[in-house]
Amino acid sequence: MSTVTNRSLRSDQGDGFVRLTDSVVGVGMTVIGLSVLAIARVITGDTAAFGLNVFEWVALALAAAGLTVVALGVGSFLGTFETTPEERGTVGPALGFGGIAFAAGGLTASQTLGLPLVVSLPAALVAGLAVGGFVTLAREDLGTTLPAGGLALLVGALVLADVVTAGWTWAPEGFSVTFPGYMVIPVLAVVASLVACWAAVSARSGFGAAGRQSAAYFLVGLNAIGMLVVLATLILFIGVKGFGRATQGIVFDPLAFEFRWPFVMDGYNFRPDVANGVFPAVVGTVWLVIGAVLVGVPLAVGAAVFLSEYAERGRFTQLVEVATNGLWSTPSVVFGLFGYAFLVPRFGNTTSLLSGMLVLGFMLLPLVTITSREAIKAVPDEYRDASAALGVSQWETIRSVVVPTALPGIVTGVILGVGRIAGETAPILLVMAGGLRDDAPSVIGSFQFVARPPFVVNDALLQSAPALPYQLYATITAGVSGNEEFGWATAFVLLAVVLSFYAIGVGTRIYFRRRLQHE
Amino acid sequence: MKLSNTSIAGFEGRSVTDADRGVLLTGLVGGACLLVAFGLFLSNSTLTVVPVSGFLAATAYGWFNHQAATVKSVTFLATVATTVILGLISIFLIARSIPVFQHMGIRIFGLTEPVRVFGVTLIPGVGELWSTSGDVYSLTPMIWGTLMTTVIAMLVAGPLGVAGAVFIAEIAPPTVRESVKPGIEILAGIPSIVYGWLGFVLISPFVYDHLGTPGLGNMAIVGVVIGLMALPTVVSVAEDALTSVPNSMKDGSLALGATDWQTIKGITMPASFSGVSAAVLLGVGRAVGETMAATVILSNVVQLPEPLYNVFGNTISLTSLIASQYGNADGMHMQALFAAGVVLFVSVMFLSIVSQAVESRMKRKLEGQA
Repeated sequence: MSTVTNRSLRSDQGDGFVRLTDSVVGVGMTVIGLSVLAIARVITGDTAAFGLNVFEWVALALAAAGLTVVALGVGSFLGTFETTPEERGTVGPALGFGGIAFAAGGLTASQTLGLPLVVSLPAALVAGLAVGGFVTLAREDLGTTLPAGGLALLVGALVLADVVTAGWTWAPEGFSVTFPGYMVIPVLAVVASLVACWAAVSARSGFGAAGRQSAAYFLVGLNAIGMLVVLATLILFIGVKGFGRATQGIVFDPLAFEFRWPFVMDGYNFRPDVANGVFPAVVGTVWLVIGAVLVGVPLAVGAAVFLSEYAERGRFTQLVEVATNGLWSTPSVVFGLFGYAFLVPRFGNTTSLLSGMLVLGFMLLPLVTITSREAIKAVPDEYRDASAALGVSQWETIRSVVVPTALPGIVTGVILGVGRIAGETAPILLVMAGGLRDDAPSVIGSFQFVARPPFVVNDALLQSAPALPYQLYATITAGVSGNEEFGWATAFVLLAVVLSFYAIGVGTRIYFRRRLQHE
Repeated sequence: MKLSNTSIAGFEGRSVTDADRGVLLTGLVGGACLLVAFGLFLSNSTLTVVPVSGFLAATAYGWFNHQAATVKSVTFLATVATTVILGLISIFLIARSIPVFQHMGIRIFGLTEPVRVFGVTLIPGVGELWSTSGDVYSLTPMIWGTLMTTVIAMLVAGPLGVAGAVFIAEIAPPTVRESVKPGIEILAGIPSIVYGWLGFVLISPFVYDHLGTPGLGNMAIVGVVIGLMALPTVVSVAEDALTSVPNSMKDGSLALGATDWQTIKGITMPASFSGVSAAVLLGVGRAVGETMAATVILSNVVQLPEPLYNVFGNTISLTSLIASQYGNADGMHMQALFAAGVVLFVSVMFLSIVSQAVESRMKRKLEGQA
């Protein structure tokens, strides 16, 4: 927002000061990157350079960053660096550092020294209160930097002095877990470098309100980046693991009109010498989506039109709103139980594709109702008024003005909703089942007319059918060993299907919103 | 349109009664057909198809002769359908689980030993927590498992989600917001079974190898994975709440010389506090109902972790109980699974209604009506 003011406040500080704070942030980010790699075991304690292993390097870097942070604070306190700290610390950092000190003191007393709770709890309280009190009472520059730098120094020293090494273990009592040093060190390093960077960023803006803002924005921004990194890692990881198997043996020859994609176009044949595919599951998912859309979308759009165009706001609309939101948050497995009790006995007492379609349609209903209502609400009242002023009836207005204007929003809602239900497993587990198989359900070819009610029957609809998410679950329950590649490829295809729905949905929304704003 | 004059026929003279009578008749026929169809479907009759065709015929007739009135009634029926579906879910779930509630009574929340407070037995002991042969079904381990995983999930999703919402709503420049927001939405799109797959083939063995847990899968992993899955819900709902705070309130604070961060902490967050807590509640609802990740990662043994707070222990959750046992369940056992469904449904419904009430209270407050 107003970064201009920050810059003008900081302009009177020396270049050296800014360079020091930036170096702390740089070192901190490097330490975090290395630690994350170490937690993921991409680099291990054996990774060494210049006679020191990776943990020792991290510790060295942490200690240096900690010293620099302390120097920044002391320099600010002595007036070497021009800053604008407050005379007293604030509550947030005091609670944070107090909490860290409480945990550290308590763990050292109870776990390392083996003292009983009566001794270790007071010790932890004393440590927490002392540090928290110091942060509150000391001038802000010292209160921020000393504990932050101290923490980094402490973690660095623990590793460098071989108190905590890669082979060190800690098994907390009561928990069936053993934390090894090679996991604890990176975690501690991440925490310590975050705190050190936070203090350095605050110092860079000269402490005070501006400093606290920069420091907070730094952490909040890092959190957002972290989320996106997790997302990208997940998708990339599945892509890397599954892409090869999923695209194995693709033949594409436009001249001979030949196109074969074995993984997507073959069934699961249970023969060891032939590669399996997911064709039946893909077809099943397509039918599921079509059925769910046919069930859910008309109901949802109808309800949205009625609620926003016809109904007066009152008890009834409130009830429907509560019901819609309730349906939205109803767990998918509960939908499955409902289908099991309500639909399965009525469709020949077996799991069936039709039940799956209906249940997923019911799940789609609230998703589309909510988004369609928002889209219809967003149509400006001027449109309706102009139409009414021309003498057009309410229904004609809805049909030729409101719904066409809201259509992009409705379509987006449908696409996003479909993306969501296409990946649902729990409901079809109970009502549709259908595991690994070789042939795809042929819905169109199975329609038959009979002379007794219900006159039209379709065996394919009344049998269980496979679907991509269920197939992945079936792969897990069938035992992953030896089948892992198949599972990764299934996950990849499922993710690609679902995410392309999402990408199209989000893309359409952005496109139409842009167009609306340019009008 | 040719037909439109019937739709505003209410203003004409002679045609009023004719048109109205036609509308009424069509509506009655359609409504009656639908009711009969519903009744027949409930009684599991193949004849359902007859009234359904009748309803469709009535609707088609109405569409060509009384379009406006037909649309209004059909959209009304669609609206009612939402409520009816919710009603049916509650009725069928409860009806299927009543026998096991009657059979177990209060002991459905029982422990192996009787629960005594001051010598008064509140809940008699059940001996064995879950025994299909002895018809003993105590939901305590599952409720505990769901509770623990949900708490861990919200420790992950709550702070990170609210921070993410603050970033998108208040801090990020427009261009960054345009890319982060869809990214978070896509995170919501990853199917739960994919998370389950990752947890099963990747995280569980990893934790087993490096953290020395007794077996594959534990509540901590499930909690973190579910937290990651509930994160997008928290972010987008909390972001809505933050952006609904009127700009005039923020401007007032900025005009007094407060920094943006002070304004966020002092004005935006307190003003949208109820909306943000509604977001967290919805996230809790998501976490409680999450099924596949829990089913695949946990080993689904019906037992309480030892000791209770041991998050690295293995247990079962309400959702994974249903998903892992429905296949070989019948009779009372199946009804017990329905009872688990009822507990799930009721708690999630409660969360949903509370969060809606909290949210509407915030809206009224921001509009200055409370």
